[in-house]
Amino acid sequence: MVTRLSHTSLFVNDQKKAYDFYVNKLGFTVHTDATMENGFRWLTVTAPDEPNHEIVLFPALENVTGFDEETKNALKVLLDKAVMGAGVLLTPDCKATYEELKAKGVHFKSEPKEQFYGTECIVTDGCGNWFSLTQPKEM
Amino acid sequence: MKIADHHYQRIVSAKLFIDEHFDGPINLGTISRNACLSRFHFHRLFSKIYQCTPHKYLTRKRIDRAQELLKDKDKSIAAVCQEVGFESLGSFSLLFKKEIGLTPQYYRNMAFRKKQLSKEQPTTFIPHCFIESHREQQ
Repeated sequence: MVTRLSHTSLFVNDQKKAYDFYVNKLGFTVHTDATMENGFRWLTVTAPDEPNHEIVLFPALENVTGFDEETKNALKVLLDKAVMGAGVLLTPDCKATYEELKAKGVHFKSEPKEQFYGTECIVTDGCGNWFSLTQPKEM
Repeated sequence: MKIADHHYQRIVSAKLFIDEHFDGPINLGTISRNACLSRFHFHRLFSKIYQCTPHKYLTRKRIDRAQELLKDKDKSIAAVCQEVGFESLGSFSLLFKKEIGLTPQYYRNMAFRKKQLSKEQPTTFIPHCFIESHREQQ
């Protein structure tokens, strides 16, 4: 029986930039920051309401990841295009979070819009991923 | 409750002001006046948007920062308390325990041990499969 998701890997093309986005802009907390002898940095962050779900900011293009060149090149294409939808971030108020992140210089693919499931806009992390930022409709 | 666009701008600005100045003597009355809202209206809108009162948000912000500062052993707990904007060490300790579930001293010891361990034995924190897959592909 599987009971919980404890880690999710998120491939990023720039780990330092990812730190800035997830910690300084989104307000996530650093859970673990450990650097191995070969320089590989294991950096995980958690969202405020999910302190036990670690998001691994995986530096996909660095030499120390163990990926071969072909894999790295394929990942680079995908990350540079920022075509990968990484998930849905929930917020109690989409419009306020949109205004706040915009003021912090975060890039959006779309403005808040009413959908049948709530209010949603599309935010990018600037490191190769985009997310739906959703305020679920009150039931 | 439908919130007008201009109210959004004001509440978000107020929240960003708190984010930037939480370590100082913040007066929520002044913030609501700067937002051109009555104290009551400001409190109601802020609570609706962020699902916590402005005062609770400010406290949480200070505690979050204190958690970071406590990882640095060079700073006394009293210094951390002052640096994040609390005036009394007693109320800081009480609120910290209430929010985090640990006393500042206990939290510090735990955080420091984790910090040391992540430096000395980083692989303790990395799921083994990630380390193995890395080795296989080397």
